[in-house]
Amino acid sequence: MSVLEMKDIHKSFGSLEVLKGIDLNVDKGEVVAIIGPSGGGKTTLLRCATTLETIDKGQIKIGDDELVTTVNDKAVYCSKKMLQDFRSKFGLVFQGFNLFPHFSVRRNITEALIHVHKKPAAEADKICDNLLSKMGMLDKADAYPCNLSGGQQQRVGIARALATNPEIIFFDEPTSALDPELTAGILKVIRELAEEKMTMVIVTHEMSFARDVADRIVFMEGGVIVEQGPAKELINNPKNDRTKEFLAGY
Amino acid sequence: MKDLLSILTQLGTGFLTTIILFCLTLIFSIPLGLLVAKGRMSKNIVIRSVVRFYISIMRGTPLMLQLLLVYFGPFYLFGIKLRDLGIGKIDYRDIAAVIGFSINYAAYFGEIFRSGIQSMPKGQYEAAAVLGFSKSQTYFRIILPQVIKRVLPAVTNEVITLVKDTSLAYSIAVVEMFTVAKQISAAQTSVLALFVAGAFYYLFNFIVEIIMNGIEKKMSYYQ
Ligand SMILES: Nc1ncnc2c1ncn2[C@@H]1O[C@H](COP(=O)(O)OP(=O)(O)OP(=O)(O)O)[C@@H](O)[C@H]1O
Ligand SMILES: [Mg+2]
Repeated sequence: MSVLEMKDIHKSFGSLEVLKGIDLNVDKGEVVAIIGPSGGGKTTLLRCATTLETIDKGQIKIGDDELVTTVNDKAVYCSKKMLQDFRSKFGLVFQGFNLFPHFSVRRNITEALIHVHKKPAAEADKICDNLLSKMGMLDKADAYPCNLSGGQQQRVGIARALATNPEIIFFDEPTSALDPELTAGILKVIRELAEEKMTMVIVTHEMSFARDVADRIVFMEGGVIVEQGPAKELINNPKNDRTKEFLAGY
Repeated sequence: MKDLLSILTQLGTGFLTTIILFCLTLIFSIPLGLLVAKGRMSKNIVIRSVVRFYISIMRGTPLMLQLLLVYFGPFYLFGIKLRDLGIGKIDYRDIAAVIGFSINYAAYFGEIFRSGIQSMPKGQYEAAAVLGFSKSQTYFRIILPQVIKRVLPAVTNEVITLVKDTSLAYSIAVVEMFTVAKQISAAQTSVLALFVAGAFYYLFNFIVEIIMNGIEKKMSYYQ
């Protein structure tokens, strides 16, 4: 069963067409890595799926919730109320963390649980404690983001995205703002999520990580999906010349 | 010594008026400033232009002139008797002072708040949106608390200026401290009262600074 369905996604910024008809389905429990050269539209695709950007044409669904569909060649978005529902279906982990600096680690994680999902504070705290202990960060619950290392901040970013129990999590280069020695820790966290069969879409430049953790790899360039396939196969035996060229750089 | 004591008691009532004028101006101009900031950033070009024009007038003309206009305007423009504009025992000149200061300071605060709001990284809005926060939740829980911290130094500057600016109320004969000090000094043909008034303003600002530093310290728990 598909958790995420993206069909014929078109997106332009002014006269620059960034996405030229992307189709992407992600099944429950599947881990999809998106790779490709800079400017290929990977971030834009993720931003469209996560409501941060509006598409010009196409269809996006998570589970049964339809964010946008196309009527007469024009994208038609769901109502504001539905949009709020849709946003509770996914989590997004940012490249630059985007934690709330004025909130403690705990509040970063519980604020949406309490004020958006109307959970009692005690229950939100319990969810928070569980996630933090999983990340090995329970002792930092009362710290503020500015006092954490980049790797710790990104753990909080992941915990915050997981807290609302989303059906799918999107990562946009979750380690590219980190020092190399901190990268491994975050990749390990994501690997563990994969083992728990969390549905994930990960934009990454870490090829060996993509090969080992993803079920499927999608190679994007120039606003189209050039090639996709089972992770090991695509990395070890790319068919398309562009994919070969790109992978040769790693 | 007796002189000084009588100066202090006489200035006392004026000082009280100064404090009230100061407090009321802050109470009205800060929320008004938030509205001004919102209007200045409005998507609606009419609202945006009107607010922009208002800000440029408030900043581009003397505050004293604005006070005179607010005070005498109703009479010269509409022939309304100023006596009729008072509320109960409160004289219209006091009300005019509060209105004049508030709309002037709202313009300055508005610009400070706007630059604070615009300095917020886009990522904060995006993180909030993705987590499902509504627009007003995002504003009041995520954005505004951070903006307050960012604008605090600039706000402190304005507040200190306001303490001194309250003396301009003498131009419409509000009986605040400076007005009283001038009267005493003329009657006694001595500058002592003016010196004492100066000391009062200094002390007032000294306290303002302590309070604002306290707030700043309280918000320094994060970067
Ligand atoms: N808000 C925007 N306005 C205008 N152009 C944009 C905007 N966002 C992205 N673009 C353009 O869209 C194209 C795709 O950008 P995108 O960030 O999606 O690429 P990417 O594959 O994520 O690249 P990278 O690997 O460098 O992160 C680029 O040419 C970029 O300049
Ligand atoms: Mg990108």
